[in-house]
Formats: sequence, C-alpha cells, structure tokens
Amino acid sequence: MTKPKKIAAIIVAGLFVYLSLYTWNLRTGHLDALSSYTGLDIAGWVIKPGQWITHQVTGFWERYIYLVGLKQENDQLRKENSQLRFENLMLSDRAGSTERLERLLQFPPLSDWEVQGARIVAHRLGPASAMDTVVIDKGALSGLKEDMPVVSVDGVLGRILRTGAATSHVLLLSDANSRIAVMGEEHRSQGILFGQGKGESLRVEYINLNAAIEPGELMVTSGLAGIFPKGLPVARVTAVYRSDISLFLTVTATPLVDVNSLEEVLLLKRLPVPSAPVSGQGDANATAAG
Amino acid sequence: MQRQPASFTAFAWWVVYTIAAVWASKLVPGVDFLAPGMVLSMQERLGWRTFVLVCVWVLLLEGMGNMSFGYAILWYGLLALFYLVGQWLFEARSFLFMCLLGIGLGVLHPMLIYALFTLQGMHWPMDMVLWEGVTQAMVFPVVWLLAKRMFPKVLRQDDVYV
Repeated sequence: MTKPKKIAAIIVAGLFVYLSLYTWNLRTGHLDALSSYTGLDIAGWVIKPGQWITHQVTGFWERYIYLVGLKQENDQLRKENSQLRFENLMLSDRAGSTERLERLLQFPPLSDWEVQGARIVAHRLGPASAMDTVVIDKGALSGLKEDMPVVSVDGVLGRILRTGAATSHVLLLSDANSRIAVMGEEHRSQGILFGQGKGESLRVEYINLNAAIEPGELMVTSGLAGIFPKGLPVARVTAVYRSDISLFLTVTATPLVDVNSLEEVLLLKRLPVPSAPVSGQGDANATAAG
Repeated sequence: MQRQPASFTAFAWWVVYTIAAVWASKLVPGVDFLAPGMVLSMQERLGWRTFVLVCVWVLLLEGMGNMSFGYAILWYGLLALFYLVGQWLFEARSFLFMCLLGIGLGVLHPMLIYALFTLQGMHWPMDMVLWEGVTQAMVFPVVWLLAKRMFPKVLRQDDVYV
C-alpha cells in the first residue's frame, strides 16, 4: 500500500472508530459519566479550595474590619429574609389556588419537596461548554440527579444537566435548548418557555391566540412536565404579539433571576411518595393515587 | 540518579500547569488553556508523557464541558495533526507557527461546536462561539510563550526530534 493510501486508510479508520464511540456514548452515556466523575470532579477540587479561600478572605474583611457587629446582624437578617421569601414564594401560589384546589380534593396531593442549598463554583468551563450552564458544588453523593429543579429565592434558575460525584452542571433557563412548561399566574394560560441564549429575553410559545395574557404578568411553572413543582415563578411577560398567520401568540419574557450576581442556589428534591396502606382500610384518595 | 528528580519535577510542573489552566478556564469561559501545554509537551518530549497528559486533559475538558463526550478527542487530535503537519513547513518552535496554530484552533472551535450540536439536533450560540474562537486564537500563542519561558530547564530537550 502506498503512503497516501495508508494515511487515507488511517484517517477513515479513525473517523469510523470516533463516530462509533460517539454514537455508543449518545445511547449509553457511559463516557459522559466517566468524564463527569473524573474531569468535572477534578475541576471542582481545583476550584473549590481557591474559592473557599477567596470567600474566607473577603468574609474576614467584611465582617471584622468593615462594620463588625452591624454586618453580622445584616447577614443574619438577609439570611432570614431569603428563607422567608422562599417560603412565601412556595406558599403564595398555594394560597392563590386554594379555591381551585378545594374543588379538586378528590385528587391526591402533590408530593413534597426537600430543599438543599448549593454554591455556584463556576460558570462555563473550557471550550466544550457551549451551553449556558453553571457548575455547583454538589453532586451524586448529595443525592443530586439529572433534571432536578434548581431555584433561587427570586425564582427558577434551571435544572441539573449532569452530575459528578461532588460537582454538577446546571442548565440555565436562558439556554437555547431549555424548555419549561409554564402558565400565567393571573390568567392561567399555559405555554412552553424557551431560552434564547445568554443575556437574551425568553420566549413563550404555544399559547392560544385567544388566551388571556398581559404584559407584566408573572409566568409560573405549570408542573405539567413533572420536573418542576407547580407554581414557582420563572419570568415576567414583557410583550405580547398577535399574528394574523399563526394559531399562537408570540410572547416575550424576562427571567426573574440574575445569574451573574448569584452565588448560592436551592435544589429541590422530590421526596418519595409514602406507600399506600396494604389492607383494605385505605381512604379513597390513597386508592385513587394507586 | 537524575531520572527520579526530573520525573518528579515534570509531574509537579504539569500538575501546577493544569491547575492554573483550570482556573484560567473559569476566568475566561470557552477558551482552552491546556492546548498550548500539549504543544509544549510535544515539543519537549513526544512520547508516553504527552500521551498520558492528553488522556487526562481529554477527561478534564469533557468533564468541565456540558456537551456529550467527543469534543476533546477531536480538538486535541486535530491539534496534534496540525502540529505534526505544520512542522514540515515551519520552524516547530517559532512564535509565528504558534500564531498559525492559534488561528487554526480559533477556526476549528466554531466548526466542532456546530458539527456536534447539529449531530445532537441542538441550537448552538453562534455569536458567542465565534468570539470564543477569536479569543482562543489570541490566547494560544501567548500562553504557549509564557509556558515555554517557565518550563524547567532540567526538563528541556532542545535537540528533540519530532
């Protein structure tokens, strides 16, 4: 075999092996898991100590040199404020929907969610990170799984994309590949929220042409996809366009969360649903749930 | 007698370089600071050490990234190919050649992202990736020059044949 033919054969064989590996990984995800449990965690180990030192030094400066007691009190109040805002956020939709829920009491209640905090370690890392994501300092060891909702006290941030052992990627709702089922808080018109890239406004699609929705209305999660709990604020409508040639409205919205100024996030983990009673003494709801 | 300290120095130097590159990746998103290290390693010692480094960096790059596995293999594979082919035409350690390699990577980055996103049927952020390509082209020769200057003298192999 001549040299050019040999080189061509090597290139074709290499390409074949690469595409085979790529396709196999798309189907199984084994190589993604391998890189997440090695590369992502190594990057986390490299970044976390430096970030911890930065936080400690900054915290020391702010707490002990700059307005000692006042700063600590302020921090405590901020923390309490954040917790109360988050509780309020979870309760506000329930309060607003009590009347509707009263009519639906024959259906089983939504399962509860456990909240845990995490710190943002980095935003996009390296050239192979073209999607709009952030890296957080918790992973599979903390019970994180793909598609777990990630929120802040202001609203929805996104969902878990990939997990390592102690580090995870969060896909932000602003990414062009993000989709979230939403509805208007006031008029309850349902649609799908699309990201349009970092720094761009969001787009709500598949809202019927005759549906009621106004600029300024809050869009909350509808819970239809089964990933997010119902009623979490996501975005605020900025404009509504009615087209003569489309069956749907064109709606733009702005996200409620500013990711650039965010340092901590909240992770929502669905608690396991308690199993139904074994004997025939279970109530009607439990039977319906099964 | 000299082999052990040199191996330890090489190990320590590449660990520090990798840590610095990860931090630089955090500060400048979308840019690979490990690629100049790969070329430097190929220039100084093309062998098992470079192979091990590249294997570790492929896992690191894929893990840090948020796409499906496959980018880093093509990225480093094509960089190695550019380097090996380019050294027939240019002086392998010249800054001009590194600038050309940087431009090559700057063009390669959007092409790879486009190809891999298209394979998965996803939307790709064209403007952002194009700017990352421009940044990569500018950063690559500068990082290579800095790394070359800081590379320990005991590890240098000026008469290497590659």
